[in-house]
Parts: sequence; C-alpha cells; structure tokens
Amino acid sequence: MNKMKLINTTLILLFLCLLPNIGKAQQYTGISGLIHVPSGEMNHEGDAVIGAHFLNKNMMPDVGFLYQGEKYNTFDYYVGLTPFSWLELSLVCTERIREKDEQGNIIKWSKDRYASIKIQPLKEGKYYPSLAIGCNDIWTAAFYKDQPLIQLYYMNLHVAATKHFKFSGNELGVTVAYRYYYRNYNEKWNGVVGGITFRPAFFPQGRLIAEYTGNEFLLGADMLLWQHLRLQASLKDFKYVNAGLCLQFNLLGKKYKY
Amino acid sequence: MYRHNSIRLGFIAAVFLALFLRVGQPKAIGQTSSPGIDFFSGVDFNFRDINYETQYDLLIRLTPGFKWNMGNHWQIAGQAMIPIVNQYGEAYKGVQLNMLDVSKEFHIKNLYLKTTAGIFNQNRYGLDLKAFMPLCDWFALEGQAGWVGWLIMSPKWWFSRPNHFVWTVGGDFYIPQWNTQFRCTAGKYLYRDFGCEVEVMRHFNHTTATVYGRWNSIEGFDGGFRLIVTIPPYHRKHRAVNIRPASNWRISYTVMYNQFSNIMYRTDPEENERDGWFSRDLLQWGSHTMEPDFIITEKTKPIKPTEKTEQTEPTESTEQEQNEQNETH
Repeated sequence: MNKMKLINTTLILLFLCLLPNIGKAQQYTGISGLIHVPSGEMNHEGDAVIGAHFLNKNMMPDVGFLYQGEKYNTFDYYVGLTPFSWLELSLVCTERIREKDEQGNIIKWSKDRYASIKIQPLKEGKYYPSLAIGCNDIWTAAFYKDQPLIQLYYMNLHVAATKHFKFSGNELGVTVAYRYYYRNYNEKWNGVVGGITFRPAFFPQGRLIAEYTGNEFLLGADMLLWQHLRLQASLKDFKYVNAGLCLQFNLLGKKYKY
Repeated sequence: MYRHNSIRLGFIAAVFLALFLRVGQPKAIGQTSSPGIDFFSGVDFNFRDINYETQYDLLIRLTPGFKWNMGNHWQIAGQAMIPIVNQYGEAYKGVQLNMLDVSKEFHIKNLYLKTTAGIFNQNRYGLDLKAFMPLCDWFALEGQAGWVGWLIMSPKWWFSRPNHFVWTVGGDFYIPQWNTQFRCTAGKYLYRDFGCEVEVMRHFNHTTATVYGRWNSIEGFDGGFRLIVTIPPYHRKHRAVNIRPASNWRISYTVMYNQFSNIMYRTDPEENERDGWFSRDLLQWGSHTMEPDFIITEKTKPIKPTEKTEQTEPTESTEQEQNEQNETH
C-alpha cells in the first residue's frame, strides 16, 4: 500500500512540475467542468476534443461495472464539440468487461455509451456568475427512462454556477452545482456539490482543482501541451488516481492560452 | 470466383487507363475555363459495435477515384473500393466499382439542376435528378428523384431492372452569422421505406459538424452526428491532370445502427453535406458563401514572347500562374 501511495504521489508531482504549460480542465465526460463536478464555464467556440480517461474503480457507479461481484478499473473515450459559445456536446463510451478466460484475459467487452449536452444561458458578468445546465445520457433518458433494464449509469441533470475572482494576476474560481442522478445507486452524488479552482499568474494556462462530489473529495490539475494535448490527473480521497488525455483543436482556427 | 474478380479488376483498370490516356491528349479536353482530370484517393473508414467478441468490427477501404471535368459542368466520375481491413463480411470482399457516372449541372434562372446517369454507390445504377432553388439568402428548396435498379458486384454479380423510384423533398435554412444550416427532408428511400430527417450543420473552417434526428417507417427513430473534414493541401495548382488526396473525409455516426434507414445513393465520389450537390462556381448559397476550402491556382502552358513583347520587355519565365480560381471539391 505504501508503495502505491508513493507511486501515486510521484505521478501527481511529476504531472504538476513537468512543464510550465498548464491548461484548462476537462471532465471525463468530454465537456468542460472540474473533475467529477460540472461547472458553469464553457469551452471556447469551435473547440473539438477527442480523448480517453482512466477511471479508478472507486470513481465508478456501484452498479453496471462489476465483474463477478467486484468493481474494476476501466477507462472511457470520448469526442466533444462546442459548436457555439453557449452549447457543448459530447459522446462517451465507457468500457465494460463481460467475460474473462481462465488466465484472466478479457475476451468479451461491451460499452456503455452516453451523450452529454451542456447549455450556458448566462455568461459570467462582473457581478454575477456564469450559469450552465446540463444532462448526461440524454438520448437514453429521453426514450427509455421508464424501462428499468435500460442502462442509465451516468444519467444525471445538473445546474452549475461559476464565478471567478482575480487578484494579482491570479484567478480563483468558485463553482456551486446542484446535481440529480436518475438511478438510486448514484444518489451519493446527488445534491449540492462544488469546488474551487486556482489559476496562478505564472501559469496562466492552468488550474489546480479541489472539489467535493457529494460523497468524496478530489484534488487534481490540468495541463495543456503544445496547445493541442490536454492532460488531467486527480486523486480521489488522496489515494485513488484518475487520469486522462485528449487532443484538442479549435475548428475556427483560433488559438487560446487555455 | 477468382476469374470473375480478375475480370472486374481488369475492367476497372482499363477504364482508368483509358481515361488517363484520353486526358493525356490536350486537344481532347473540352474547351471550358478549367477542364482537367483529377485522380485522388481517400480512406473509407467504417466501424460498428454489434457484438461482444470484438471491440469494433472494422471496414477500411481505399477509395481511388477520378473526376473528369469536361467543361460547361459536364463531368465523368468514377471510384473503386479496395478493402484493406474487412470484418463486415462477404459483401465487402474484393475490389468493387463503387461509382461510374456522367453528370451535367446547369441552371434555369434560380433553379439549379444536376442530372446524372450511370453506376451509383449503394449498389445501384440508373438516372438521377437533383434540384435546388434558393428563394433568398437564407432559405432554399431542394429535391431529388431517381429511377434505379440493383447492381451488386460482390460476392457475386447480380443486377435488376431499374424499377424503383426514389425521391426526397426538403428545405434548407442558412444563418450566415453563425455559419449554421438547417436541413429538413422527407421522402421515399432505397429500401422502399419512407422517412424524414432534420439535420443541423455547423460549418467551421475546413470542417462541418452536424447533428441529425430522423424517423423511418420501418425502423423508427434514430439520430447521430456527422463530421466532414476537408483534407489539405488547401493551396493547389490546377493542371490538365492532377493527382491529389481526396477532398474530404466524412464519418457518419448513428445511435441505433439502423443501417437501412433513410439511405440514398451518392452520385459523386466526394459528395458531402458541407458542399452540397452543386459546384461552388455555379451555386453561391449556404456554405459556398464562406471562405473557400481550397485555393486553386491555374497552371498554364508557357507563353512564347512575341516580337512586340521582345522589343519592350522580354519574358524569361517559363511558367505563369494566372486566373486564380477558388473551388471546393
């Protein structure tokens, strides 16, 4: 266990200190946000992302991602697009194990697909926060929500507000959100959730993140390399690592620092 | 089977070779502003997730093709499909002639028409008519009608008489401030199904992303997205014979894998939702009013200096670039 802790800590420190380019955060859902908590911010208009995220078993829902009664580490991959400054869309596939052979090799897979949408009706002003509403698994929720056998592992509705405060070139962001998961086994993440972000003046492209998901605390950071490669890593309850990377392009040809 | 494949491959190669040799003679080219023939190839990438044994079934094919612009918007186009990875089954095995047709674009006032005859994709052949009528800068009517039959080349040759009439009608709304287009269509499609579809397209620089929803009389509701990315180089020189990559890469995703819903054939190897049916220099509407994807410079033959020019200013250059023309393929 101590060895694992040492590896985790080393990974995070390496991640934070590797390069001076630190970028905007991402969620494992392919749309903007903190780590597990949605935010009122949006990506830039024209941003397209394609990426993958390692998901620790402790971050997974308690149902649906079990093999022989035990949760397992897995990953997801996604594509996302911000067609307008007020709209984000994404499609996510999370890998599931269906069968292993006697040696423990996975021989049958399946995927849980869901689409996410996020709309920002109110942009951040000088005295008021940005406001966004969103939904995961909107397609399934729209057509199959009354069928108990249909998978809705990630289906949730949320509304989030984010306000940024600047001081000495630094930026402190405060996010408060209300979230409702459709399935009872995810109710631990229901209710008021939130987090804070810190964007240092000497790393204007980056953020450090601390958040409360309703059930656990997460610490993390993001990094943008060469304007196109975005990384994110986080620790859940100071123990369990989640990490991901994605390629990011602005289809309008604009260049942003973060 | 081997013999049939050889005959088919030989036939495709002969068509390509004949056209190549034909174009190699400058006098044979039609007298238009920019006649010429383009040889190109892209990759047709397909994947599906319908079983637990594999992550995805893959179908990857090379798509070599040509477009012979004969002038006055006459065009002969052809395309073959060469499978590289095939996990889709026998129907996609072997080299196939995907398309070989002749088309003509013209307009009568603000009614733009395109007629096509020949072999289309989706294993069909026949006649096709496309119509597009812009009523104002932001609204246009469109329609398509075809009289088609089956022409299957793999795993066995098989064809039917052209006995199936397909059609679609619809309208297009374009919002230039957002480079956004709404397309609503309804009609009778290739599998004798009726359906309708609403598609929202957001045009970016060199990329178009769309989200669509549709209803079909056989398979019900479905939806998905499409992505069309134009492929560099974006600055090109146009000669009588051009060899280039395909103009665009297109992927279409459907949620329900209703692969026979609202399916219509294509008559152009590089047809896509971003460019529409008509040439950019003929129809200036919708995405054709945006900055062009490709800047094409005419590459002409050297001009011999006349006596007059020798006396005044001798020309030493052997090549001149003129008549800048913007086209989107």
